[in-house]
Amino acid sequence: MVYQARLVEVVVMSSSGESLVREASVAPAMSRRTLLGRIIQGLGLSLVLSPAIPVVQAREQVVEISETDRLIVRVARPLDAETPVQEFVSFLTPNSRFFVRSHFGPPPQEQHSEENWRLRVTGLVDRPLTLTLDDLKQFETVTITAVVQCSGNGRALYRPKTPGVQWERGAVGNARWTGVRLLDVLRRAGLQTNGLHVQFQGADRPVAATVPLFVRSIPVEKALHPDTILAYEMNGRPLSLLHGAPLRVVTPGWMADSCIKWLTDITVQQDEAQGYYMQTAYRYPTRQVTLGETIALDDLKPVEAMIVKSLIAQPQAGAVLVSGPVMIQGVAWTGEGRIAGVDVSLDEGRTWAQARLIGEDQPYGWRQWQYIWEATTAGPRTILCRATDDRGNRQPERSPWNPGGFLWNGWDRVSVTVAG
Amino acid sequence: MRLATRVVAVCLLGLATLLLGRAGAVPEGRIGSDARAEGLVLARCGTCHSTDLIMQQRLDRPRWQATVGKMIHWGAELSDEEADLLVEFLAARFHPTASGLVPLSEIGEAEPLQAEPLSMQERPNGVAQQGAALFATNCQACHGAGAGGGFGPKLAGNPILHAEASFWETVLYGRGSMPAWEHGLSRQDIADIQAWLKTL
Repeated sequence: MVYQARLVEVVVMSSSGESLVREASVAPAMSRRTLLGRIIQGLGLSLVLSPAIPVVQAREQVVEISETDRLIVRVARPLDAETPVQEFVSFLTPNSRFFVRSHFGPPPQEQHSEENWRLRVTGLVDRPLTLTLDDLKQFETVTITAVVQCSGNGRALYRPKTPGVQWERGAVGNARWTGVRLLDVLRRAGLQTNGLHVQFQGADRPVAATVPLFVRSIPVEKALHPDTILAYEMNGRPLSLLHGAPLRVVTPGWMADSCIKWLTDITVQQDEAQGYYMQTAYRYPTRQVTLGETIALDDLKPVEAMIVKSLIAQPQAGAVLVSGPVMIQGVAWTGEGRIAGVDVSLDEGRTWAQARLIGEDQPYGWRQWQYIWEATTAGPRTILCRATDDRGNRQPERSPWNPGGFLWNGWDRVSVTVAG
Repeated sequence: MRLATRVVAVCLLGLATLLLGRAGAVPEGRIGSDARAEGLVLARCGTCHSTDLIMQQRLDRPRWQATVGKMIHWGAELSDEEADLLVEFLAARFHPTASGLVPLSEIGEAEPLQAEPLSMQERPNGVAQQGAALFATNCQACHGAGAGGGFGPKLAGNPILHAEASFWETVLYGRGSMPAWEHGLSRQDIADIQAWLKTL
């Protein structure tokens, strides 16, 4: 019985129209053959073939997988994992299914436990502060619904491939974040007029001291925006360790590289944060570039606001559909504007039909949409979607290539088969 | 020592199966240096991140060179000769037109919230035979082949193996430069590794 927990982690998932066996994080560098060998040794062949255990039968797996509370692990250590897109049929992404990303993994217990944890506010302020979580909770409480998305979400879709975690579609989620305004904290500290950038640092640390710390900053305008918050709750529950307990930054409308987890230090300074993760990584060219080209530093700016994007949550890639009406549904979001519309195409983008926007409409949340497709012709079909925001920005077929693989927002596409 | 050698061999063989099995035929005469490069991937790259991060990349030679250079700059312990070997290996395996099938993993618990060390009842019984391979993949980079020590302390014969609370707390939540494993290994994996370490 020792092996049972491991066995159920061997599931079949459909990705890019192909069925793959994805293995549990039992031992990341172990081949499927070796894993199966261990299972067979441990349990005997009869159990491996038991119907309770997912085997490679992609069609039958679709329903079972959609009901499974799982993330797709991209990197086992430090943990990077994305949400299977079929989860995005709900307005809020449950905490247990929200994507996980960090550079070094969560800090040790003694550093994030509430007794030991302190938030320090220093730099260009009149009154440096050291706050406990209780102190922080004395500020006015605010709750904001906001999409949080990894800057590299969709990196795997760029050609040529770019280095980094190969996120496909699910390094994004929509949650209600509760905390206090960064503005209120900075006011208490007495922000000085030459303080132009607000730097954040968390308690997470690399294995080797030679690796640069994950230190980022945001311009003071964003820091003083009343919707920029320091959050200690996510969807009404205390922030979990994987999501940055006890406190993280949430910069609504901006990419998650500004949403520092395990926050311990806020430093107001005249200049942007120094170091690799601000000056080299998370930068995006302001002009079209190609692989191998040298890009001048002046042509790179920090990744900040999100850009208009949509995803198809249902049906899933590889699904076999019964002919007749098919409900296509998904989500759409943008940076600091609002979603104006979502279009669906079933002919590779030659014609587009308007989807219906449904559900809650919150300033920084995503918008759910649906479209009923009369699927009559049997055979393979590709469903495409694209969103447009209220500033006239529309998703392109493919995003312009950039060396970091950031800000992918090409049309989302899902291939299905209509049964005859 | 013989056991340690076997552990290394099993571990390298496992990775070789994984890496080479998907890439098709390998030119003869390269296998020896490949095995060495795979050892470097496990021992030097694996200190900071799991090897799945490497296997999902599809980069050309200049970009592998830049990546390895960056890692050396950040403290990866590689001599010039080892770096060249590694770049050669990575560029040959994980190049832009390499197979699209990338081994991935799934986890069942996205949100482990264990704040306290596990009680005795929650610690599964370890299976020593399973522990060797798990150790080779996850721990050997720092604690050395056969748990003989390296960047991290020697674990063979270490009294912490029998100090249950300290052992579990350290593995789950980390200590000093030891990373926290509560999200990277299952409770069963940890118990298996502990059981195997006790046999050394």
